[in-house]
Amino acid sequence: MNMRYRWTALIMVLLLPTWLFCQDDKELAPVSRTYAITNVNIIQAPGRKIEMGTVVIKDGLITAVGKGVSIPPEAIVIKADSMYVYAGFIDGLTRAGVIKPKEETKEKLKDPGNPPPDRAGITPQMDVRNFLNPSDKALEELRSLGFTTAQVVPHGNLLPGSAAIVLTGAPSGDAMVLISKSALYSELTGANNIYPATILGVMAKWRDLYRQAVQAKSYEGMYAANRTGLERPTSERTLEAFYPVIDQKIPVLFRTEKMLDANRALTLKNDLSFSLMLAELKDGWPMINKIKASGAKVFLSLDLPEEIKTTEKKDASTAIKKADSAKLAPANPVSKTKTPADLEKEALDKRKAEAIANYAGQASSFQKAGILFGFSTMSAKSKDIPANLRRMIRAGLTEDALLAALTTTPAQLLGLSDRMGTVDNGKMANLVITDKSYFNEKAKVRYVFVDGVMYKMEIKEAKKSDGTTKVEIEGSWSTTTQSPQGNSEGKLTFKKDGSGYTGTFSGGRIPAPVDLKDISLDGATLTFNYSLNFGANPVKVEVELTVDGDTLKGITTVGTFGSFPMEGTKDPKY
Amino acid sequence: MTLIDINMKKSILIVIVCGFLTVAYGQVEKGNVLIKNGTVLTITKGNLENTDVLIKEGKITQIAKGIAALAGIKVIDATGLYVMPGIIDAHSHIGLDAINEGTNAITPEVWTGDAINPFQMSIYRALAGGCTVSHALHGSANAIGGQSQTIKHRYGMFDPDAMKMEGAPRTIKFALGENPTNGGRSDDLQPQSRMGVEFVIRQAFSEAKQYMERWDVYNKNKSVKGFRGAPPAYSLRYETLADLLRGKIILHCHSYRADEINMVLKVCKDFGIKRLVFQHANEAFKVAPELAAAGASASVFSDWWQYKLEVYYSTAYNAAILVRNGVVTSINSDSPDLIRHLYHEAGKTQKYGGLSDDEALSLITINPAKQLGIENRVGSLEIGKDGDVAIFKNHPLSIYGVPQYSIVDGIVRFDREKDPGDMRLMPDPKETIDVTFYETGHNHENCMQGVEQLFGVNHNENKN
Repeated sequence: MNMRYRWTALIMVLLLPTWLFCQDDKELAPVSRTYAITNVNIIQAPGRKIEMGTVVIKDGLITAVGKGVSIPPEAIVIKADSMYVYAGFIDGLTRAGVIKPKEETKEKLKDPGNPPPDRAGITPQMDVRNFLNPSDKALEELRSLGFTTAQVVPHGNLLPGSAAIVLTGAPSGDAMVLISKSALYSELTGANNIYPATILGVMAKWRDLYRQAVQAKSYEGMYAANRTGLERPTSERTLEAFYPVIDQKIPVLFRTEKMLDANRALTLKNDLSFSLMLAELKDGWPMINKIKASGAKVFLSLDLPEEIKTTEKKDASTAIKKADSAKLAPANPVSKTKTPADLEKEALDKRKAEAIANYAGQASSFQKAGILFGFSTMSAKSKDIPANLRRMIRAGLTEDALLAALTTTPAQLLGLSDRMGTVDNGKMANLVITDKSYFNEKAKVRYVFVDGVMYKMEIKEAKKSDGTTKVEIEGSWSTTTQSPQGNSEGKLTFKKDGSGYTGTFSGGRIPAPVDLKDISLDGATLTFNYSLNFGANPVKVEVELTVDGDTLKGITTVGTFGSFPMEGTKDPKY
Repeated sequence: MTLIDINMKKSILIVIVCGFLTVAYGQVEKGNVLIKNGTVLTITKGNLENTDVLIKEGKITQIAKGIAALAGIKVIDATGLYVMPGIIDAHSHIGLDAINEGTNAITPEVWTGDAINPFQMSIYRALAGGCTVSHALHGSANAIGGQSQTIKHRYGMFDPDAMKMEGAPRTIKFALGENPTNGGRSDDLQPQSRMGVEFVIRQAFSEAKQYMERWDVYNKNKSVKGFRGAPPAYSLRYETLADLLRGKIILHCHSYRADEINMVLKVCKDFGIKRLVFQHANEAFKVAPELAAAGASASVFSDWWQYKLEVYYSTAYNAAILVRNGVVTSINSDSPDLIRHLYHEAGKTQKYGGLSDDEALSLITINPAKQLGIENRVGSLEIGKDGDVAIFKNHPLSIYGVPQYSIVDGIVRFDREKDPGDMRLMPDPKETIDVTFYETGHNHENCMQGVEQLFGVNHNENKN
């Protein structure tokens, strides 16, 4: 008896670590699916605010909003004292949470003028639901910003497949999906040296396919009604994918970053009369009236061109006045020290600054023209999004209009108004809670609710102020960067240089160490960047790391290729 | 200058500076202008000294002496200046984001009208050379290339559709010789020889004919009561070729050698195609009477050849010989550089061939207009025609001729006196500003653009 008890205890002890490990892997279900967010500023919708109220959510839905709301006894109470709660944001176009199929090396085509459809980028029958991955890092980044819903599309160019509207948090790919086949997705880009290769071929192929689909659909209808005297129609998946578009049940969603591409999408809409959704538009201000007249639904890009640093900008704007007068009178004493090249550079800088301002002002122009618009994040870097939103406000967009473009308008454009977009009774419990107004520079997202599931954000307090732990980066570090191609090892070195640092990075596919630029150590946050040459095009790599003693951890962002996790440990001193 | 002029310039400036658009989008802007006291070169109706030209709502409404200026109308004092119709280029590739869909031997379904880029500086530069209309041609990478678009140089408009000359007939580009066969040989596909080019064209025409007939039969049967049957499969490719066979599209054929020009004349005769323009046509002088008899025309260079083997046999007298044989002839640029001084190119025919002033100027005005099917709209200064005008200091055929104003639809789109250094409409917000950068002289806006890599050819050898 005694022995037996001992054996059991021993086995228990032996098993314990494994059991704990299992618990680590599988998150505990919350004890209740009822939450009460109390004493919170509730921004129910743009222009609709309740100060210091309570939001109750139960089983994925908002069940009570207001002051003096009774809190159910089973509720997990979140004391959100003086915090702000908004409806979860909606993203009109992204590939966050969508797996990119591995690129296989494909054999050279014998006749590139008549490729199989998939080689030409024509796979409209594909469904993004087959590629969903709820644990994708990019999806987590999007959610951490407050986006709870997104329209996602498969990877590919011309006609990669159908889009879906998904939640940014769910236990499985299928559980993410709110609406499947929300739109047929297209990009006006051709295949590489395969027909259609250029915008010329792409536009023609689009018209050809669409009209063939109209014909096939009509014939199928004819055959279904009466088979007499008719050949049996054969099934063609590429054409069938257009049927819901032809029936006006779903729109065609185009990624049109440039207004010329948006114009081309409008041309196709006019030629073929489908309903049109434009997303990721960046320079659409000159075609506002045309978009308005077309009735197309619009999602503007949250990517903005990098701002010129304020000091430089000031220089440029004062210098340009001088440049103007100097041009007329070269002997002007003001311009004595400036060469013609300086003046030319200043004039070009000024035009560039104006162009950048136009991009930041796009949303405001659309607001003034009375066009409904949402936002899309496809080509935006997550970390830039809050700052870009503030730039749009500085460029004239009102906070209410901005909030509408993140919540109520996209809900309306995507046909989701009945279930999301505002903080109201009966809506899905998609919420974002911030410690300050979302558009405040210092605001931090504290909680995000997706479909009633709480995600608590880790707040990284800058260790700058406490001064107890001194962060030292000088020396050499071994790093590992995860990418879809596998892990890549690298070496970082830092050397003190006055009050700052110099450094290099090598490893991976970088043959010789590259110099790091803009090295900044702010508390435990280390940022720097460097340039890589892929072929002729320099690609800027931006790195943000948190240093903790002899380890560092963070994200490296390679141009527009994506963001990858990076980790490192300090090499022993030699 | 007058108020309207200042306002116009201002609005362009506002567009440039603020990106704020005041102009009506997607619509053709039309203006009013009175050009006073110039030497008017009408091209079709002689020269008129000290004469005024009045343009109202974009159309020429009066050509006479001493026209009174209406209140508020822009007036250009052309005393001592030469007033001619805006220059027309029947072969150019400016203002296009893509020129060649060279991936297949036949691509008649594609259309350069889909690739218009109204922000290209080459459009403004063409205006600075008095050129107001150009034919934005598909390239010459394949035997049957794409449909092309005649554009008006309305630089300052942000809408690509506003560049298209409304009502201009449809055109299509074919190509013979080295360019399309290069592609065939590199992929081991048809065509690989001049014979192959003929075969590809004839085969496409035959298939288009069958396509057309299948539809005709179907449409006829469809109206019969009780008819049951499937429609022929739709194809934009053969729809387009069928329209060409029906005479709805003007054929512009890239060609150099006399033998292949003859070949295409025969093919077109066999398939009933009547509206035919040979582009480049360096050996057209050898078959000038045949061209005249067939009613085909030619659009040539003044004195540009030897850039590849098939262009070795050539002469600067080509244009003059064609004119003397009664062939409607134009001189084209095929280049964003030459398009800026087509008046020089036309002037060369006076040295090589002794053409008269009107004959020489016709080569860059009314004749290209005929080749594009727009001669009722532009190409000469006549009442009722579009208000497209180029105003020169010194005679345009003189080596001292310098364009001063270019007017499109009654709107001054280029004014030498007000020509800011930076005319870009959409500057790149991510550009790297480097004022030490100089052009390397490579010319990418040519017929083989986008396919050099495809065919592995050296693009220096393929200027056209």
